[in-house]
Amino acid sequence: MAEVSDWALVEKCQAGDMSAFQELISRYQQKIYMVILGLLRNREDTLEVAQEAFFRAYRKINSFQGGSSFYTWLYRIAVNVAIDAQRRQKRNPLEFRESMDGIMEERNEVAKDPSADVHDKELRAKLNQAINELSPDHRAVIVLRTLEGLSYKEIGETLGCSEGTVMSRLHYARKKLQEKLRAFL
Amino acid sequence: MSTCEVIRESLGAWLDGELSGAAADTVRSHLQTCLACGQERRQLEKLDITLKSVLEAQTIPFHAESIWHALRQRIETKRPWYVEVAAWTGPVLRSPSFAWGVPAVIVLLLGTIYLDSILPGWNSGSPRDNFAAVESIDAYGRNVALLREYETKTTVIWLYQNPDSESEASGETSNKGPAF
Repeated sequence: MAEVSDWALVEKCQAGDMSAFQELISRYQQKIYMVILGLLRNREDTLEVAQEAFFRAYRKINSFQGGSSFYTWLYRIAVNVAIDAQRRQKRNPLEFRESMDGIMEERNEVAKDPSADVHDKELRAKLNQAINELSPDHRAVIVLRTLEGLSYKEIGETLGCSEGTVMSRLHYARKKLQEKLRAFL
Repeated sequence: MSTCEVIRESLGAWLDGELSGAAADTVRSHLQTCLACGQERRQLEKLDITLKSVLEAQTIPFHAESIWHALRQRIETKRPWYVEVAAWTGPVLRSPSFAWGVPAVIVLLLGTIYLDSILPGWNSGSPRDNFAAVESIDAYGRNVALLREYETKTTVIWLYQNPDSESEASGETSNKGPAF
């Protein structure tokens, strides 16, 4: 059976079909969750912010006219809520960073060679720290590009800026990360 | 800006496949001859790979059902009216355009006050009642009223008889109109 398109689900949802909204959310919740986690780097806040983003999407679904794809529209809401939350975030993201190595070890993603292991761990720790030090706008472009693989056009639509701005932000974000990690790269 | 600096500015976009034909060709041909930019390219590639792996390592399974359950509860909960109002007005009040609104209103108010002090009555549609009236007695002992109108700078002298003194002095009726 062919999958129902996002737009068909949006129309159903606009007509008051809650199950259509549930289907839409189930399609994108993992991605949205990842993007928000990438921006906030704090698990507790991520769940809260993801829920707020979905809630806002539901409240605004009637205003969605299909000018962009549904996921771009949903990303835009999620990224805006996450950036707002990031700006007033009081919890220390270091708490998250410290637990990152543990997670990666559990998932067996760390290199097996002991010396490479140490180097890799150090690089990841430094990179995590460098990501945390990026501004919300720079972090957003890095996450949307690296994690989600969105094109510059899609990132621009999501963040409400031009492709040129996306290119510039990505350039400076990478430059900052590179400067902080030069010894490891 | 040297060629290498120009190339490095667009290296990331080139690696992302976001450069058009001619610009992409320029970067590609430069990389074939410039060792330093080649090294920069390798660093960027390694950075991207590590970034991806670090960000992807965050993937933690979560309970979609419980998230949906909480969300549904929130959607179905009737919010108090003041929360609804705040939800509607919040984005408007927080919007960047509104940031200019408050100073604009303050400037407008101050301007109005200042204008009123240098141009009194500028904002009234009809001539205002700005007469000054003084009652007095002239050299002949008659009652007069001096009316001064500010806008036309006209003084009107209104001579009238005091009914009491009139009847005492001349015995004439007091119903006589004012004499100018």
